[in-house]
Amino acid sequence: MTLFTTDDCVLCAQLKKQFDLPAMEVQVEVLGNNDAGALAHLAWHGLVEKARKGLPILVLDDSSALHEFPHIESHLLDRAARYGCGVTAKRSGKQAGCDSGSCALQ
Amino acid sequence: MGVVMPLNAETAQARTHQVVNEDSTDIALFVRSSQDDMLGWNRQRIVDALLRETFIDRGTAEKISKDIELTIQAGKVKTITGPLIREMVNAKLLEMGLEEARRMHTRLGVPLYDVDQLLVQHNKENANVPHGPEATNLTLAEGIKKEYALLSVFTPDVADAHLSGDLHLHDLGFIDRPYCSGQSLEYIKKFGLNLPHALSMAKPAKHAEVLLAHMVKFAASLQSHFAGAIGWDAINLFYAPYLEELDDNGVKQLAQMMIYEFSQQAVARGGQAIFSDVNIYWEVPKHFEDVPAIGPGGEYTGKTYREYEKQAQRFAWALFEVYKEGDAAGRPFFFPKPLVHITEKFFKTDGHMDFLHHICEVASVKGNTYFVFDRGDTAKISECCRLSFKLEASDIEDAKQPWKMRYSALQNVTINLPRLAFKAQGDDTKLFALLTEKIQLAAKAHGQKKKFIERLMSLGKGGPLSLLAMDLDGEPYLKLHRCSYLIGMVGLNELIRVHLGQELHDSDASIKFGLKVIAHMNIVCNKLAESMGMKFVLEQTPAESTSFRFAKLDLAHFNAEAEKVVQGNREKGEVYYSNSTLFNVGATMSPIARVEKEGLFHPLIEAGSITHIWLGEAQPDKAALASFVINVFKYTQNDQIAFSPEFTACLECGKTSRGLSETCPYCESKNVDGITRITGYFTKISSWNKGKLGELHDRYRNIDRFNN
Repeated sequence: MTLFTTDDCVLCAQLKKQFDLPAMEVQVEVLGNNDAGALAHLAWHGLVEKARKGLPILVLDDSSALHEFPHIESHLLDRAARYGCGVTAKRSGKQAGCDSGSCALQ
Repeated sequence: MGVVMPLNAETAQARTHQVVNEDSTDIALFVRSSQDDMLGWNRQRIVDALLRETFIDRGTAEKISKDIELTIQAGKVKTITGPLIREMVNAKLLEMGLEEARRMHTRLGVPLYDVDQLLVQHNKENANVPHGPEATNLTLAEGIKKEYALLSVFTPDVADAHLSGDLHLHDLGFIDRPYCSGQSLEYIKKFGLNLPHALSMAKPAKHAEVLLAHMVKFAASLQSHFAGAIGWDAINLFYAPYLEELDDNGVKQLAQMMIYEFSQQAVARGGQAIFSDVNIYWEVPKHFEDVPAIGPGGEYTGKTYREYEKQAQRFAWALFEVYKEGDAAGRPFFFPKPLVHITEKFFKTDGHMDFLHHICEVASVKGNTYFVFDRGDTAKISECCRLSFKLEASDIEDAKQPWKMRYSALQNVTINLPRLAFKAQGDDTKLFALLTEKIQLAAKAHGQKKKFIERLMSLGKGGPLSLLAMDLDGEPYLKLHRCSYLIGMVGLNELIRVHLGQELHDSDASIKFGLKVIAHMNIVCNKLAESMGMKFVLEQTPAESTSFRFAKLDLAHFNAEAEKVVQGNREKGEVYYSNSTLFNVGATMSPIARVEKEGLFHPLIEAGSITHIWLGEAQPDKAALASFVINVFKYTQNDQIAFSPEFTACLECGKTSRGLSETCPYCESKNVDGITRITGYFTKISSWNKGKLGELHDRYRNIDRFNN
């Protein structure tokens, strides 16, 4: 399972804070100006255009992908429970917004 | 300085005897100057030229001129040419260690032998250029401009990289033009045909036929100012306000006129046809829905383009009826290339399945149709062999006044990928470092071309690019600040083969590593774009001759490595590298697998990609192709596809048959020529370069893949 993110993405940051992703065996790929491997991995899943519209994206083990934040969060909550990890931080109230447009592959 | 007229023997002998002891200005040799004038020998002209063209001091120039004069006198030369004097001066400069001065004093020209060859033999660098006097003019002029560019526009490191085959600077012979142009018909609908230096100007067209005449003339003018394609956006939609008065026969007649005009045009660039593309939509694109329509006389019709959907569809349908018929001999039209945009809205527009079947039938019967996939909110103008300009927010804003929509790529530079793998010797770090270095060099080349074009554009309406400087809407026709700079690639497949020992189609690991290479190129382009303030974008280079050139150069300079991976037939010299990120053309893959897997690369290549499906003699059912196209749109990332059938045209009986044959099936004549798609357009096989002939031989034909 892979979570595609960027450093500037508010929503991605929220998920990284909320979950112990390594403990849940979720690989985190940070898309940016220095990691061709991460971008190639995104392209392999055919998700470059989707990522240009919005991040984060969660690719499941069957290669299907979740794009909507609530679905991603919900899926990670289930996985955290299955892995017995719990959540590392509770989401403080409302879901973070991304008015700046930074939650996308530039 | 030019040819020196020989004196008769007696006089010459006397003169020679005299001049040894006389002042140089008295040498009675007549020189034909470069101004077509006969001049007497004058050593001072050497001094003047050296002081004018180089930075050497007067004393050195005087010394060189005296030395040259003595050499001429001592050699008892009877016939001296201007080029010879210059060569002697240059040899002297080199002898004195003044290499930079020698470079600045270079004379550009063509050896006599080469001209003799060129006048007789067909230059096959571009299959779209016929053989004839105008074409040889073009080749000769191109040769000089190419030398000029390498000496004067680009720095030695860039020029050397081109000459050695590390990278390829495209269209060097057109150094004083941008690469290609995409635009809207609205410009001439609104402003008429009002071109700088024209002998007359025309007001906006009042009739469809006149608009067509304006379009063709404007396209020819543009072709003489751009090296590559001339593309037109939403052509059927922008003609629509002129079609209301025409019945279906009239619309078909107009469609025929357009296609014949562009396919028979031979006025530009050495007699070649205008490399023309027409973008076609079945629906009214969202960004044009509420735009006020311009109609006859350049007047607003009072309607928006949304209201012209049916007229636009009538024209689109008629165009493809003409494509399906082909020319008088049943051959496919080579130009204009029809690019149909398949969008989300296409599938919501009435009649789309009928139209899809119609264009798929044309794809099967003649191969003309290009299917351009604009998924989600993407909108673009496509042209050339696969180039596309994605519309950004500012472009969508321009769409409210569509005559403002014009897009240009200034230059195209391609990187020789297999050579990087030869040098990296299996080391990933070294491979990516070398790749970065070459992209930086390509960006440097772009900066140098930009500076050169800026200089020409700064001369404004009195300069050589006056057409591009015209500002009928308040902005120069060429919007330099919005130009793209293309960086292409050749031979990803062979890079992978060298680096991993497998080809792209062999394994997922190969594709993943290939994606990493292209992702790296994408990232480096973005970084350079930010730091240099220029829009660098990746494009799948068509590489009609570059894939041949790189393979030949690598066989010469990296023989041990290259001979293991170069494609084609080495004995015949028909060698090539796989184009851009394309898989091996001979790999046995289902068409959908090829489209899907090659399509994984396309989102990383923002200025355009294509997958070719070679049909050979197959003529698939239109419904099968339509279903295929829908699946490609829905389930892949592929940017553009084209189906390419093959034909044999008989030069004796004039008939056209399906498939490539050595004899005409109708009259059994051997005087035949093949026709199919070379890299992104249809043309006669007899005009192909050797590399492309090698590729043609290797192509895997999808004969039984569409249930025909």
